[in-house]
Amino acid sequence: MSAPEPVVPVGGPAHGRIRLIEPACTSCMLCVRECPVWCISLDSHTEPDPDVPAGARPRTVNVLDRFEIDWGTCMFCGICVEECPFDALEWDDAHPAPAEGSLDLRHGIAELA
Amino acid sequence: MRDVAAQDWHAAVLAAREDGYGWFDWLGCVDEIGVADELRVVLSLRRLDDASAPELLLQCRVPRSEPRVDSVRDVFAGAAWHEREAAEEFGLEVVGGDRRRLLLDASVEAPLRKDEVLAARTAGPWPGAKEPGESTEGGASPSRRRTVPPGVPAAEVWGDRDPDGPPPDPAEVAAASTGGRVRRRSR
Repeated sequence: MSAPEPVVPVGGPAHGRIRLIEPACTSCMLCVRECPVWCISLDSHTEPDPDVPAGARPRTVNVLDRFEIDWGTCMFCGICVEECPFDALEWDDAHPAPAEGSLDLRHGIAELA
Repeated sequence: MRDVAAQDWHAAVLAAREDGYGWFDWLGCVDEIGVADELRVVLSLRRLDDASAPELLLQCRVPRSEPRVDSVRDVFAGAAWHEREAAEEFGLEVVGGDRRRLLLDASVEAPLRKDEVLAARTAGPWPGAKEPGESTEGGASPSRRRTVPPGVPAAEVWGDRDPDGPPPDPAEVAAASTGGRVRRRSR
């Protein structure tokens, strides 16, 4: 099955799917909490920040372990894209690939890149 | 916006039509809980003889416990549909209106009132309950702040609460529509 050629409207990409720019994500949970249909979930853990200058107080950073969008639930409202303070989510022309079952519509970090 | 007393509602709409506002645009309802213990009924009219004239908005306020307003479907037939919708979604009583159900099952009471709890949201775990840096719900220290999803009041207010206590305060339930931090226990 091949997707039709994406149509790029004036003013930005089509609302085909939402991309995750993983390095920009700080696991702040804002998108998860703002999503009206609860289609985003993420797991993260904290690690000591390796970039602390010598002698400074140790700090921790959040490390993203799992980020998942369920395309079967998502209504493409874009609130998560608007809310992300670090611009780690953005619209993309391509559409999520069709899947055999609803579980295959849950896309993780690799599929969302 | 022109304020109209509930008992003058029909007369005011009729007078506005006589005044030249002959085109009915829409009728809506707003739950004012948290501001006042009232429902606000708003009606929008336009003039067809002057396209640049601003719309005329009429509003009347009725108590939430006894929301009763006269039907204006004999003035504008198109208002009947809007009145049926407001009656169903807000529990408004439209005296002389069309009493047939329009959209919802008769078992549903007034889903657009703000103290209506999104009960289905209590059934499953909320993905947003986790804090940044957490991977399992409730895995962090029990002292950290608790958040609830929008539309679900804290357990002390609604749900898993003291069964002998007074019924939940509708204003407190309605305040949960924005979600966020669980309120501090006040009693």
